[in-house]
Amino acid sequence: MITLSSYLMISLALFLSGLVVMISRKNIIAILLGIELILNAAALNFVAYTRFVNDNIEGHIMSLFIIVIAAAEAAVGLGIVIRFFQMRESIHIDDAAQLQS
Amino acid sequence: MGLNYLVSLGHYVPELIVCITMFSLILIEAAHDKDATSKPLIGLTSFIGLISAFVILVLNLSKPGLSIFTNSIVIDSFGTFAKIIMVLGTLGAIYIAEQSSDIYQKLKSEFSIMAMGVLVGGMLLTSANNMLLLYIGLETLSILSYVMATLKKNNERSGEAGLKYSLYGGISAGIMLFGMSHVFGVLGTINFSEMATMIPNLTSDQMLILIPSFLLFFVGLGYKIACVPFHMWSPDVYEGSPIPVTAFFAIVPKIAGMAVIARLTMLLFNNDSLLSVSWIGALSVMAALTMTVGNISAIGQRSVKRMLAYSSIGHAGVMLLGIVVVSEIGLRSLLFYAFTYLFMTLVAFYIVSFVNDTYGNDHFDRFSGLIYKHPIMTISMIIVMFSLAGIPPLSGFVAKFNIFSAVVAKKYYVLAIIAGINSVISLYYYMKIIRLMVFKTSESENMILGLTLRNQLIIGALTVPVVTLGVFWEKIIGVAEQATLLIQ
Repeated sequence: MITLSSYLMISLALFLSGLVVMISRKNIIAILLGIELILNAAALNFVAYTRFVNDNIEGHIMSLFIIVIAAAEAAVGLGIVIRFFQMRESIHIDDAAQLQS
Repeated sequence: MGLNYLVSLGHYVPELIVCITMFSLILIEAAHDKDATSKPLIGLTSFIGLISAFVILVLNLSKPGLSIFTNSIVIDSFGTFAKIIMVLGTLGAIYIAEQSSDIYQKLKSEFSIMAMGVLVGGMLLTSANNMLLLYIGLETLSILSYVMATLKKNNERSGEAGLKYSLYGGISAGIMLFGMSHVFGVLGTINFSEMATMIPNLTSDQMLILIPSFLLFFVGLGYKIACVPFHMWSPDVYEGSPIPVTAFFAIVPKIAGMAVIARLTMLLFNNDSLLSVSWIGALSVMAALTMTVGNISAIGQRSVKRMLAYSSIGHAGVMLLGIVVVSEIGLRSLLFYAFTYLFMTLVAFYIVSFVNDTYGNDHFDRFSGLIYKHPIMTISMIIVMFSLAGIPPLSGFVAKFNIFSAVVAKKYYVLAIIAGINSVISLYYYMKIIRLMVFKTSESENMILGLTLRNQLIIGALTVPVVTLGVFWEKIIGVAEQATLLIQ
């Protein structure tokens, strides 16, 4: 039996794994993947709440917009990472430490 | 239905003007020769667009509030006042960008285009009445900001600033959405005015979910105004970005974030429920932390730009105090504070920009002995620094005084004392730069480049409000007094 709580558990797991990825991985691409996991957790929550609790389309619209904006954000993020790689020849987050004084 | 949307569009003219200006800037940019060194039409178009948006916003200021686009956007005079500040800030930043050599000549038009985009996002954020538009506005603001931070594209520091900004931004937007999703699940709506009717009578189970959810929600907004503990990106991004971009970041996203937090607090948490108490409590702790951390970290900085970044964190803390009191007086003093902060920030960054163009960096030592070379500029800088520190009779003092009196009227004495102590701390590092400018002798004979008569006049003209608002402040307070929030 799939209930609301199963969806919420899955999205919580996605959220937490996203957070863990962002904290523990040093690769910038992996951090961007972690951000995607968090956004997907939120989108899944919106859809699940709409399906089981609130019978309106607002949640569906919200999740569609999350998908679109996440794509835009990933595009800009990857562009910046490419720029960074061209200058430093590295995508390791510890190499981005010039600005700490 | 269709007619309703047309009527709504009629109330949405300032935003439309900014959008149209942005698109025409893109077209003009495309029509230019690829190697053209100067594009005068770009500056002219953005100037005309922003001025007309400004005029219409000023005319709208006295109109009563209303909600448009099927209650998803609220147009009220509070939002309009915040938009006026943002439009003026964009105008100032674009002018700095035209003069500064910190942005490559070829990319100056791109700066104007993206500044317009960020402005649209900020305006949307300021008047959003549901979570969807809040999210769209925030992301329009953020995504373009990431690109702006990387604008100096062959510079390693600028690239790193953009990278840090986009990673922190993505994380906090994700956390905010996760919080939003649970708010939606519990309350069943994404509309803020519908939420406001439900919040005073919640069951304790709902409360248990909503308190952490709203705190997660706050992460995304707190990140935009750089309040502690979400401020870690701010000094690095401010230092790495080109100076006009830094000036822009210090004004537009900050005011937009403040306005949306003020709207949420006044709309949803203007009651005695446990949820409101915890939201206000969290806000007050963060305001106190933001002031203290910002001002104490500013003391040890060597770069003036980084010092201004930390001081803007401190100012964000003081502005948060205007929200914490949850009253009309608080909102009024918040708007007045933001208005004076606009002029002070613009003048400070303007002068730092010229010094940076001349010497290639903006360390404190570069400012020594400036008064013997450029008295007018230095006197403006001194006035602005005194005003930022809150010395009477300048406008910074009146702004701080208003906020303090609102806080004291609410009997939040601890917050008022912390704010007072912070004011004293901030005096130390603002005085440091004044001491260098006046009492030290300069290390080189070089004059500051680019200080034409026009630029000196503009610096002087921007300093005039800093002084006059300190003396004739009833006028602007009177305008801000009409600026009430529409609460349905």
